[in-house]
Amino acid sequence: MKLKIEAIVTLTPGIRKFTLAPVDGAPLPRAGAGSHLVLEIPGSGRVWKNAYSITSATEAAVYEIIVRRVEKSRGGSAWLHDHAKVGDVLEVQPPQNLFAPQRLAKRHLLLSAGIGITPFLSYLKLPCLAYELHHCCKPEDEAAFRALFPSGPQVTLHTSRNTLNLEMLLKRQKLDTHLSICGPESFMDVVLATAAHCGWPSTKMHKESFGGATGGESFVVHLHRSGVMVNVGREESLLDAMEAAGLTPSSLCRGGACGECKLPVLDGVPAHHDHYLSEAERAANNAIMICVSRAKTPELVLDF
Amino acid sequence: MKLSMKPQETFRDDYTFSNSDEAILRFPFPFPDDNYMYSVNMEPHVRGGASPVYNAVFDIDEHYIGDMADRAITLEHDPLRCQVLPHMEEAEWDTLELIMENLANDYPEHFSLTKNGDEWHWINRPLDIDQKFVFGRAETLPYGPFEYITRQTQGDFSLQDQRDNNLFMDGGMVTSQADWSLNFDVGMSFHEWHGPVPLAHESGVFDRALQYLLRLQYGKPVRRLNWTMTANPRLDTSPENYPLWGPEKATITPDNVGHRMCLRVELQSLYRLPRSNAILFSIRGYLVRLEELALVKKWAIRMHRVMRDLHPKIVEYKGQSRYRQHVVDYLAPHDDGRVLNPGVAAEQDSI
Amino acid sequence: MSKSRPVYTPFGLDPAGRAHLVVTSLDAPPEGIEDSLANIEVWTVKHNGPGVPAPIVAGLRPFRSTTELLVQLSHRLTRETAGLRLYAVGPEAFIWDAYNAAIAAGLHPSEISLHRAGPFVRRVYCSHCRTIIEGVPVNIVACPSCEAALFVRDHFSRRLAAFMGVKVDAEVPGEIPEAEVFTS
Repeated sequence: MKLKIEAIVTLTPGIRKFTLAPVDGAPLPRAGAGSHLVLEIPGSGRVWKNAYSITSATEAAVYEIIVRRVEKSRGGSAWLHDHAKVGDVLEVQPPQNLFAPQRLAKRHLLLSAGIGITPFLSYLKLPCLAYELHHCCKPEDEAAFRALFPSGPQVTLHTSRNTLNLEMLLKRQKLDTHLSICGPESFMDVVLATAAHCGWPSTKMHKESFGGATGGESFVVHLHRSGVMVNVGREESLLDAMEAAGLTPSSLCRGGACGECKLPVLDGVPAHHDHYLSEAERAANNAIMICVSRAKTPELVLDF
Repeated sequence: MKLSMKPQETFRDDYTFSNSDEAILRFPFPFPDDNYMYSVNMEPHVRGGASPVYNAVFDIDEHYIGDMADRAITLEHDPLRCQVLPHMEEAEWDTLELIMENLANDYPEHFSLTKNGDEWHWINRPLDIDQKFVFGRAETLPYGPFEYITRQTQGDFSLQDQRDNNLFMDGGMVTSQADWSLNFDVGMSFHEWHGPVPLAHESGVFDRALQYLLRLQYGKPVRRLNWTMTANPRLDTSPENYPLWGPEKATITPDNVGHRMCLRVELQSLYRLPRSNAILFSIRGYLVRLEELALVKKWAIRMHRVMRDLHPKIVEYKGQSRYRQHVVDYLAPHDDGRVLNPGVAAEQDSI
Repeated sequence: MSKSRPVYTPFGLDPAGRAHLVVTSLDAPPEGIEDSLANIEVWTVKHNGPGVPAPIVAGLRPFRSTTELLVQLSHRLTRETAGLRLYAVGPEAFIWDAYNAAIAAGLHPSEISLHRAGPFVRRVYCSHCRTIIEGVPVNIVACPSCEAALFVRDHFSRRLAAFMGVKVDAEVPGEIPEAEVFTS
């Protein structure tokens, strides 16, 4: 669907909020809390497809997203920061939800860092969610983030590691609480490891993972049935590279979580960065999630 | 769409149910080939396709009034035929919105929906309902939102919560089921509620179907057909009332099989719900008496062959052991051995 | 869980748990509890004479009935914190009653471990009149309320913690097959 940029607000030098509205006035598809949009962003010679959490409430008439300008940007966020203007029209895929709040949890412990706050902003707008949110950010961003939250004891902002005692926080949660986290991989890894150490089962830990691995060594992929060879550059994903070459592999979340883009590996060794394949499948190395995974060998042959 | 409804019709006791010629020709005949085996067989639920029943999102037909009256009787006797677990309230409103919008859009002469912000006004002319309510506030409706709208929509429904990489049947309106119990199954996971189905588990049909449904997208519903047979055009063939309808199966004879025995086809369609991220599963049943079906030559022949060669485990699971031979014998005279075209089309325009 | 009826694994503690609560309707702890894992508590059902509670000994707490145990379990779980693992050992009906108490308290199935011990009897749900029939040893049972002769299917509902019973002679009344003893 086509959406126009109705407003742009700079929250910090590297973080901008965009309001997207329907071009033709027709009502937007409803997006439940935790949903994301995939924007098709024009780049030089190619289109970038980036996923962003919807931060606005489900019943809003517009969508709001918040975009951080990624330092080693592949292009999408750089364009949104440097070139996007009010009135621009973008092609946007309808909302998908891979990170809905856990319906059976009576309480939600939400932990986020930096731009990872975005999926939780839609959670906080739900009328009846019982939650405790701890958000970590840089001191210079504190005021901007604080303005995004409702006031109250259920939200705590941390600008230094010292004020967030993860182990104590995780240990004191009741059994009816689920943990949801979003932020840089290193942050999420620490939280998950600490929770596991405290006895949390993985089934009660939920992470938003689109955005995944951003790059690595370049490699070549041979698409066996298409008879096409594609170079995958250091800053692009295998999926991006195939799309840039005019191919149309199936994909959905673009974050290694949903399983849609799985392709069989006929030769070469994949480097798995996804959250979907089982241990056994990872070890067998005969499948790859092309949206986030790469290659250990210089070349891969895929059944596509 | 132009549609005229029978003002009354019974699906129990005297069974006055019958199909007009138009209804027979639009019946969703389920057998594209001369033999039948389970498969995932899902396709996008788009308008049009192999059968006229696909022309609307939620198909309403000439049996609407009788169907809904029968549901009301079943619910009167057993309110637990409609249950929704507490955490599914958002899915209830998603369902109400989806059905109301589509019925009003597809059948404007029968249904209308006007919205003024949260204040909605719903009119259902065939059932003489004129309801104003506030969307999101259950106290402004006479029933919970899910029960309210499914009392006005043909077919059974289940509400499935998606969590833990699985689907859980956490709600339903089930008054025309092919022998399964909502009260027993509510809360079960995908593989659990399909537990009793033979053969399909071994071939991985349910594993693949689940993976497919977990990735169901909003705005892209899917559908498939399922089928069974019912002695008498009875909607309430529930385990709860099996002592009532069970004996009817044993009264099928070669003389009455054409009139009493019905082919029952379920059009199953699945919709991703936007706010709750749950899945609405519609099980829309269609009944046709064998003697009505036999008026379509191709269908009579094809059905003869399918029933004659049906896998014994499927015969047993579908509860057809007692009367299957009567059905085969009834249809056999229609089968002249000709080669039939594949596909379900009736290949005739009139009866 | 298998497609129609639950399948059980042998008893064993989960080393990833921070604390462990083992409940059993039998009068002694199950075998296989290692002393090396810290924070283990075991609840049993046992009394010391008519109505007289048995003493609580470090980590081992007896209750006078399974009813009392289950009530106390619900209460205890609402006070517990993350990292607990619950284990239920005993006849099938008891362990699923413990399971449902745990789910109501917010535990996830992965935090609950069920192990069957004792005779192969089933709790049966009469699908016609909703009566629950306890301790059924064979696959045909008469419902004590509506008198239907029920065939006990292998289909199990976790929510009801019971197997489905459906009238076995609905089509031809009186045509009742031989009952078979449950071997699982």
